[in-house]
Amino acid sequence: MSVIELKDVSKSYGQGDAKVNALKNINFEAQKGEVVLIEGPSGAGKSTFLTIAGALQKPTSGEVFIGKKDVTNYSPKQADALRLDKIGFVLQAYNLVPYLTVREQFILVDKVKKTGNLSKEALDRLLDELGISQLVNKYPKELSGGQQQRVAIARALYADPAIILADEPTASLDSEKVEEVGKLFKTLAKQKEKAIILVTHDLRLNKYSDKIYEMLDGHLSLKKK
Amino acid sequence: MFLALKEIKYEKLRYGLITLMIFLIAYLIFMLSSLSVGLASENTQAVNSWQTQAVVLNDNSNVSLSQSLLTKEDLKDFKKTKNDSYVGIVPIVMKEKKHQTISAQFIGLNKDEYIYKDLEVVSGRKAKHNDEIAVDQILWNRGYRLGDKVTLNGSDQKYKIVGFLKNAKINIAPIAYGTMATWKKLRPMAPNVEASGIISKKNLDFKAKNVRSYDKQTFVNKLPGYTAQNSTFELMIGFLFVISLIVIAVFLYILTIQKMPNYAVLRAQGIPSKTLIGATLSQSLILVIIGTVLAYLLMLLTVSVMPATVPIDFAPWIMISTIAGMILMGAIGGLIPIRSILKVDPSKAV
Repeated sequence: MSVIELKDVSKSYGQGDAKVNALKNINFEAQKGEVVLIEGPSGAGKSTFLTIAGALQKPTSGEVFIGKKDVTNYSPKQADALRLDKIGFVLQAYNLVPYLTVREQFILVDKVKKTGNLSKEALDRLLDELGISQLVNKYPKELSGGQQQRVAIARALYADPAIILADEPTASLDSEKVEEVGKLFKTLAKQKEKAIILVTHDLRLNKYSDKIYEMLDGHLSLKKK
Repeated sequence: MFLALKEIKYEKLRYGLITLMIFLIAYLIFMLSSLSVGLASENTQAVNSWQTQAVVLNDNSNVSLSQSLLTKEDLKDFKKTKNDSYVGIVPIVMKEKKHQTISAQFIGLNKDEYIYKDLEVVSGRKAKHNDEIAVDQILWNRGYRLGDKVTLNGSDQKYKIVGFLKNAKINIAPIAYGTMATWKKLRPMAPNVEASGIISKKNLDFKAKNVRSYDKQTFVNKLPGYTAQNSTFELMIGFLFVISLIVIAVFLYILTIQKMPNYAVLRAQGIPSKTLIGATLSQSLILVIIGTVLAYLLMLLTVSVMPATVPIDFAPWIMISTIAGMILMGAIGGLIPIRSILKVDPSKAV
């Protein structure tokens, strides 16, 4: 069952001669338990895809469905609630608040989203699985890149979203860590039934994917199924 | 509040510096307000202690008690009541060889009138005889004691200090209260002069040839230098509030601009703008409250060690109005960066 679907989505910026068509009539879907990779060179439209799939901006045309609901024309407030509830982001900058400890990153989610978050026991298990349970009182700057990445993944999973959107999640990791993160995403997708969509240049992640799309000049095509 | 407190705790130096600025401004406002009230009070202390509601003066005196003289002819139609008191005033230089020379105001009173009866004695008693004076208690701090004999305006006559009084200052100068006969001796004039003016603790509207009554505020505003001094202080305090607003707004704006990438990430994660706006406003109010409360504590310490000669009056309303004013400035200052927060584009996080 599709948890996210983009139908005939286009996105353009500017007007006249300055008009740039970042996405051109793309179609995309991801199911529960799948790891989907979006690959492509810089400037191909991968980040634009991520912002539209994550309800961070609206498409110029086409429709976006999340959990069967058409979210294409959601207001900013509805989009905030949707992201908080259904979408977890893992960004290149690791999306951690620099002045909050690891534990407080989760408390912040509790302050905004009062229900539906992981229980304390489930969070403890997740932190154990990610190997970061001993880091809960540390600030992001006290963590290595890999540790920050794992905290960011835990933070994204804490609100128990159906979809995880990750932007270049292995950009600053060595090969060993890339393997770790790849396995982790695969396990999370299968065990926790999440749809995990990774926008990446990193071909080392291919073996952990269920589907691979290629983005080129705003066109999206399915490479592997 | 959660984000605000955590960030202040994490960025102690940065927020400490802002708090220091707010603390210094609030302290300066407390100090200037207290000096302003203290000085204003020393201008009007006696006028207030007389419960003045109206003052009858010579029409040509420019509403100045010391420039006014009222004759029997002027007052022939004035019906004196128990609420009225004749007052004769003259500037004096008080000398006593062991103590510093004092510039003061001599005020002659009639013993059967209310001002004389209501004088608040701190030690000793009121002046009963023509060679006696009762003076403001500030003279005690300058070494004068009961029984000291002083000369006034270089005359040979000695006057004995028989009492120290509370609230006996006018136009910042200490008052020496004595009899009306002594006043007439110190201020030579035509024999039919009755007084400099009449103070009344009830509203009255008296008008005669060369004479008219004024309400208290008109009289006080015409005290030499009073209005200019108050306006100067009010202007300085007003500017300090504006400066505090600018400091808070500029600091918070710069900090907000620096945090934009963070805010974009938080917005991408679904944290609503209102949470980020709430954090900025809370930060502003927390910093203002901490800075102002610290300034208040330092002000209490300052007042406790300040010499009695410094006219400082840290009245409770100064504390309340300054804290309220600073909180208002903090709230307004915290609103300035809100436009930037509302414009944060969450897609910039990707």
